[in-house]
Amino acid sequence: MSEQADKLGAGDERKWPTKPEFTPEMLEEMEKLLPGKLNRVVAASLSGCIHCGMCSDACHYSVSIPEDKTLVPAYKADRFRKWYKSRYDWLGQIFPSFVGARKLDKELADDMYDKLWGACTMCRRCTFNCPMGVDYGMLVRAARGIMQQVGRVPQHLQDTVDTHHNSGNNMAVPRDEFIETMEWIEEELQDEEGCENFKIPVDKKGAQYFLTLNPREPKYYPLTIQASAKVLNAAGVDFTISSRYWDLTNYALFNGYDPDAKEFSMWQVEDVKRLGCEYLLAGECGHGYRSLRWELPNWVGGVPFKITSMMELLAKLVQQGRLKLDKSVWKSHRFTYHDSCNIARSGGIMEEPRIIINAATDDFVEMEHNRENSYCCGGGGGALAMPEFTPRRIAAGKIKADEIKATGADIVLQSCHNCTDQLKEIIEHYHIKAKVMNLAELLAPALVI
Amino acid sequence: MENNVSHALHILEEPVQYMALGFMVLMYIIKISQMLKKPVPPEKAELKGDRVVGAFDSLLNVLKPWSMESTRKNPFFYVEFMIFHIGVALTIGATFFIPLVPVLMTPAVSKVFMLFMGLAFLIGLRRIYRRLTVPEIRIISSPDDFFAITLMTVFFAVGFVAMSMWINGSPDTGWMWIFFLMTTFFLLYVPFSKISHYVLYPFGRINFGRTFGGRGVMNKKVKNSSWNPK
Repeated sequence: MSEQADKLGAGDERKWPTKPEFTPEMLEEMEKLLPGKLNRVVAASLSGCIHCGMCSDACHYSVSIPEDKTLVPAYKADRFRKWYKSRYDWLGQIFPSFVGARKLDKELADDMYDKLWGACTMCRRCTFNCPMGVDYGMLVRAARGIMQQVGRVPQHLQDTVDTHHNSGNNMAVPRDEFIETMEWIEEELQDEEGCENFKIPVDKKGAQYFLTLNPREPKYYPLTIQASAKVLNAAGVDFTISSRYWDLTNYALFNGYDPDAKEFSMWQVEDVKRLGCEYLLAGECGHGYRSLRWELPNWVGGVPFKITSMMELLAKLVQQGRLKLDKSVWKSHRFTYHDSCNIARSGGIMEEPRIIINAATDDFVEMEHNRENSYCCGGGGGALAMPEFTPRRIAAGKIKADEIKATGADIVLQSCHNCTDQLKEIIEHYHIKAKVMNLAELLAPALVI
Repeated sequence: MENNVSHALHILEEPVQYMALGFMVLMYIIKISQMLKKPVPPEKAELKGDRVVGAFDSLLNVLKPWSMESTRKNPFFYVEFMIFHIGVALTIGATFFIPLVPVLMTPAVSKVFMLFMGLAFLIGLRRIYRRLTVPEIRIISSPDDFFAITLMTVFFAVGFVAMSMWINGSPDTGWMWIFFLMTTFFLLYVPFSKISHYVLYPFGRINFGRTFGGRGVMNKKVKNSSWNPK
């Protein structure tokens, strides 16, 4: 294979030209971009709000930081809506102040930046509580996409997307280093009792499942890969990991730039086809799952394989009796489960994690709000990649911290790496004695091999 | 009952209303066609649920207060909402029934209309108070929000008084004139106001139902889900 063919990511090296503030030229460009973002969902969401305020109790920001009324979802969305109304609302064009319309100026654009990047995780909890069905997730993503295209995007978030574009994964893990890591994890796995014959097949053609990973795993949490591989091996699942496009993340879901979202998706599609796998298997990652399962087919125009997730597969393996588990391993622990917004509310996976958890432990306590009603932990929407908003992110996690505390659990389970990091931070910040684990880490020690 | 009114009030109650109604319908046709011209986001993912069932279910959301936490936790607010909107329907209905089928508006029927107008008036006052005093509501309120709710509340009050006189055999009163003048104004104003939200309601709800119905978040009992990893 030639060096060029072996190069992962896009052919060009890109550094997106980000800007520290809005200029008149950028505002002018945004005006040109707006019509292209107005599909029927976004347009209906911008037109449909009746300012009833029913969303005010639905948002983890407004509930956790009640003293700041500007964190109410309708207020935040209105930063974008005002601009929209000034151009498309009949009365808004004639008497803008009467309907709350406002021409896009620097002050409004700054407010949009603050509220739509830094005070919304696109978790859609408000959408589920809106009588009019306003899709805040889509609305905010459209606004973010416009701001991103003119360069007004949180630097670290854009860097993450650029890294993915340039390297084929968002942490620039080189291919040889990744292969070495997999080999090392496989050796570690084989050192475990009863796992001598377990494998982590890389680039195995014709495997049934094409397992994808979050780059945090090979980089910082290799034990989660080991746990996943152990469970899959124990159940006799025919899987492989690609040495090329194994990264399931797609931060273009967060910055709203569709060409990148499509590009990252297309790489993965081609890679699944290259290995001839039947299933694209999303690892435990919230936005990664949603991107692969629900958005990728739309970004690339359909796929010739099936897409599923570790949560669904593990639940099926449990139900089929292919995993023998010893619950006594966890007998001195109490568990609770945090539903990632992109997995549950935007992804439809709600019962599968509970099937898995109940198979491994007898002491599982639900949080007050769970499944599609779960509050966002505060780490969604790319929030962890926006350090300029960190204090607000931590403050917004209070409702989740309170609910975790109320369960008395000492282990918080979840299936998302952004949630992992956020939960760890809020657990420490709000002085909760609990650790955070994913579902494979729950199952792996309890396996009877 | 009979609607014996002056020729002038008759003109206001019928031809003027029809013209205003025609204008409103025209504006709505334009509004809806503009929305229909917007592209619908594609859905090429393998579905876990039924998008059509989801859309239908979502459209009926207004009748299912248990389906949203925001209404589950605020049953009183939901009851107010229902009474208010029934009041809207009946008040507007009255402006058609009185001139067109006055025989339907017996004293008993008229009293039912008046009951809802009266309750809707009180709820309107409460909603104005809420919009003025609850900080998170006040901060999102535009002048149109205040104008719309105030106008509706006054409309209910005027309708209530006009109907009470109608029951007492006085169809041609100053109150009835105000009632129909306000109706005409409404028909002309509503397409430009937030009051026209009912035209947008199906769009938002269908979008929601299609998306989350297809993903299996709603209608969890849908059989034959396509998801079945081996």
